[in-house]
Amino acid sequence: MKRMPLFTKCLILFVLLWLFLKFVIGGIISVPLPSSLIAMYLWLIILAILVHVSVEDDRFREFLRPIKETLADESKKVRRTALFVLIPLVMLGFTFSKVSTRADPPAALRTAHPAPPADLTYRDKVIGTSQEVENPFRHLEKDDAEAFRVHVENGRRVYYQNCFFCHGDNLDGKGHFAHGFQPLPANFQDPGIIPNFQESFLFWRISKGGPELPPAATPWDSAMPVWENYLTEEEIWEVILFLSEYTGYRPRTSGEGAH
Amino acid sequence: MSTNHRFFCVFIANLVLLSVIVIPVFAQGKKAPAASETGKALYNDKCAHCHGVEGAGDGAGAANLLPRPRDFTKGLYKIRSTGSGQLPTDQDLFDIISKGMPGSSMPAWEGILSEDQRWQIVAHIKTFYDGFEDASPVEIDLSGKVPYSGESVTKGRELYKQLECNACHGAVGRGDGTSAPDLTDEWGFRIWPANLEQKWNYRGGATTEDIFKRFIGGIAGSPMPSFISSFRVGLSDAESARMTELEAKMDSDELADAEQTEYEGLEEKLYAFEDIMLKVEEGEEPTPEEKAKLDVGMKPIFEKSWHIANYVKSLGPEAIPQPAIGDKVLRAQYRPGDLPPIGDEAWNTLESSYFPLVGQVVIEPRQFNPSIDSVTAKSFYNDKEIAFLFTWDDRTKTLPQADEETAEILEDAIAIQFPVKVPQGPTEPKPYFIWGDARRAVYLWHWKVSEPQKITEMNAKGIDKATVQSAASQVQAEGVYEDGRYRLWVKRALTTEDKNDLQFESGVFIPIAFSGWDGANGDVKTKRAISTWYTFVLEPVPSKKRFVYPPLVALISVGVLFALRGAVQRRENGNNI
Repeated sequence: MKRMPLFTKCLILFVLLWLFLKFVIGGIISVPLPSSLIAMYLWLIILAILVHVSVEDDRFREFLRPIKETLADESKKVRRTALFVLIPLVMLGFTFSKVSTRADPPAALRTAHPAPPADLTYRDKVIGTSQEVENPFRHLEKDDAEAFRVHVENGRRVYYQNCFFCHGDNLDGKGHFAHGFQPLPANFQDPGIIPNFQESFLFWRISKGGPELPPAATPWDSAMPVWENYLTEEEIWEVILFLSEYTGYRPRTSGEGAH
Repeated sequence: MSTNHRFFCVFIANLVLLSVIVIPVFAQGKKAPAASETGKALYNDKCAHCHGVEGAGDGAGAANLLPRPRDFTKGLYKIRSTGSGQLPTDQDLFDIISKGMPGSSMPAWEGILSEDQRWQIVAHIKTFYDGFEDASPVEIDLSGKVPYSGESVTKGRELYKQLECNACHGAVGRGDGTSAPDLTDEWGFRIWPANLEQKWNYRGGATTEDIFKRFIGGIAGSPMPSFISSFRVGLSDAESARMTELEAKMDSDELADAEQTEYEGLEEKLYAFEDIMLKVEEGEEPTPEEKAKLDVGMKPIFEKSWHIANYVKSLGPEAIPQPAIGDKVLRAQYRPGDLPPIGDEAWNTLESSYFPLVGQVVIEPRQFNPSIDSVTAKSFYNDKEIAFLFTWDDRTKTLPQADEETAEILEDAIAIQFPVKVPQGPTEPKPYFIWGDARRAVYLWHWKVSEPQKITEMNAKGIDKATVQSAASQVQAEGVYEDGRYRLWVKRALTTEDKNDLQFESGVFIPIAFSGWDGANGDVKTKRAISTWYTFVLEPVPSKKRFVYPPLVALISVGVLFALRGAVQRRENGNNI
């Protein structure tokens, strides 16, 4: 069997690495990589291949041989003609697509969870510092299981009368209005949500909603209402109990470090 | 007879017997297990908040939902694979729980609850209605399916008119029939006929089979009847027409004796079928002759229903359109010269951008059951002006009228919302998506059906803090209502003198949002359908450079290739010498 020319080997390696970047790393392992990043890696790969083949004179000659043959050898006329037509056409198409790219809409920013303000308030009343305030009904979980149940059930009622339209029947952010919003409503079944926040944080987000988000809280389009205008302080604490009971995720307590 | 032979006969006989017993069980899918405490506990945790602990459809969430959560105590189920007047099969209940009901608040529990858990819930739901105990529902026969074809669609369209489907569902199917505003369900709640173009809202799915089953089985508890009741089963079209004719004569006492006999003959034929149908409905097994007779009588009706199912299938896309973000973002196209007016063909050359609307459930009074699904938009601009064409479906044209309860004046309307100032970059906040906030104002185009050629320009810093601009409106408009759809054409200068107006600038992504009011749905003031912020752009006029650079690059690459070839050839020749 004829040995595969070095040039072909390099070409195959290059294509394999490109496919790996595009579909394995930017697909199976992680989110798709930006094309500019892929282009940068590909330049590095080309450079590495050139360094590798040009270390020894013989190897470099071997590498260049098929290129030379294609360019000048009379026996390679078909291949040459095809390439001489194809390469300018590809360049034409590539440049045309580059020049006529349309403006892309601003990319949706990833949701950043902002730090709560120092003081937790309900309407204008200061409840305490965000660090220290705890759910006033939380202690009942140990002290009076029955009373705790009542509050959870009350929270359930509040949830299905006010929240489930967006946050979903199963608290998974897939309510029947969810498709109308961007960013999507929070998914409380996501293990990255409830366990990462103190109950005071949840209270703050529920009571103040989208309009009171601090400037750092991109992407800033939250449709979350200012619930303190419609719910009592107790109802907000109760619905927080329900979120945690239904999903089985416990909010962080003030002693635990933030993630 | 040899033993082998006898064995073979017994085997065959068994097979036949088995098929008789087994096939109906297969046909009805799986059966629910016996009701259990597990099923009850699951129901109470996952379903009771809407359907009620006792299954009466009266859970805490129910009051804000339309369609209401199913009341299981009546045994009326909308989505069934069974005939009219029958209970659903266990499989039907399982399927609804698994797949949910599109366009309603019933979610799909597949993937959330295990198969076993869903069956447990089916078993518990059945305990709410005694009728399930000895029910043996019969599935609708789907075997005669008429394949989808242009011919079948045409027949279906004719039948759609003939059977007066348009009385509720409207001339082209947008649910805008003359009876549409007055429909109520078995429980007295307002019910809207389906907009057949919006397949993504079909509660029981949008396959041809799904649609066919709704025709044959009807939608129990709703005004949607079974098709079979629209026909005289057993009579041919000609016989049926003759009967109608004779009935008319009878009403005016002009029936001759011979005609009287003819009428009685037809009636007898009809009754013979009705007897069999009654028998089947009561769960009795018809004799093979009766069964055969019924099949012959039903065949043309089933065939017609398949035609209508194919026609309905032809109305609109199956999937919900992609919203106007990413690739689908609204791009106003540059068009030199005068911008096209409302009915102009030029609009058909543009693709619609789709903006879904949902209920405004933030500020009281809220709208939990919006009837406006979405707004679509197209846009052209030139050097001086920009024109938009918006459309949205509304089953009723509601001119100003007082609400019976609140005495508020209800009227169909729409508001198109922009920020007064376009945020610089994605980190600069937009105004609050419902009519702005104290710090950031929005600029609004408010249109109402009573003044179809007028846009009121407004500014708002909150839903209850809107002010009408004092200067005369510089915006031209024309709104038209036709077949359940509003079309609104709006045109304005790109730039104005008023600092409270948005200034349209090419190449900039400008936020846009919508509010829609359907008067017949009780929409007024804050009670409305809304969208969140989307963006659109006046697509910049493509640069002329795109015709210069690419050929240049191609030429250069040709040059480089030949130069390389020349260089190589010269060297080779040199070596050879």
